[in-house]
Amino acid sequence: MLYLIVPLVAGILSGYLLRGRKHINLNKVTFGIILVLIFSLGFTIGSNNELLTSLPKVGLSALGMSVLAIGFSVLFVVLIKRRLRI
Amino acid sequence: MIKFILAALAVGIAAGYVNNNLASMIAGNWITSYLFNASLYLLLFVMGLSFGIDKEAVAKLKSTGLRVLIVPFLVALGSILGGLVGGLIFRLNIFSSMAVTAGYGWYTLAGPVLVQILGGEWGALGFATNFLRELLTIVTISSMVKVDKYAPVASGGATTMDTTLPVIVRYCGSDVLITAFSSGFVLSIIAPFTVIAFASLT
Repeated sequence: MLYLIVPLVAGILSGYLLRGRKHINLNKVTFGIILVLIFSLGFTIGSNNELLTSLPKVGLSALGMSVLAIGFSVLFVVLIKRRLRI
Repeated sequence: MIKFILAALAVGIAAGYVNNNLASMIAGNWITSYLFNASLYLLLFVMGLSFGIDKEAVAKLKSTGLRVLIVPFLVALGSILGGLVGGLIFRLNIFSSMAVTAGYGWYTLAGPVLVQILGGEWGALGFATNFLRELLTIVTISSMVKVDKYAPVASGGATTMDTTLPVIVRYCGSDVLITAFSSGFVLSIIAPFTVIAFASLT
């Protein structure tokens, strides 16, 4: 987990130090990096023959299970958040 | 924006398949490990940067408070309940199916762990279910955010600390960053334990 926290914290600190400089727009940079990340995620999936061949076999139950897991998670978070007004 | 993301995903899958099966142009791990990790670290850095530069960030963080603890707990509960209901619907062993959804979208963990404990078929189901969770989170984010700003965080599960974080921040705003990251972080820590625990109950 540490390897993920280090760049995040380093970014926050650098941002803090850069605060007050003129406005920097990071949206385009961020989007470019996102595309590279998603591409390499796709590449990882495409390179995994086991996953590709297993997808049609378990596809329907996998889809059902993920929709249910997402559904209940969203339901709980949204309901409790509104109830507690957090 | 989502069109570009889906296009990048599709091109990536096609390129990975071609490179792996038809014409090995480059060593695949240059992309699957180096490029993936490099872009991930860079992205986390830039996300942190935009948070640190934001003068109102501390005020936003203070308003996060309780959410940081409650959100991952509710996501874990919802995911496991989803596995239970799914197991009943598809007539699967309910403990195994709860183990599948207790990966909270972390498919590279859930897949291998389930292969080891329950065998190949459950491993494939664990891999596919958790992978689809990540994919569905990205695909449905624009409609999900209309329901609630934190709905995509709940949907993403453990993936909200890395792969889905940038997409979530882009759609839900930078004030969601800390909740999303911390929720994904907590879920990533407990995922190995919950997957193993439910799989062992089978």
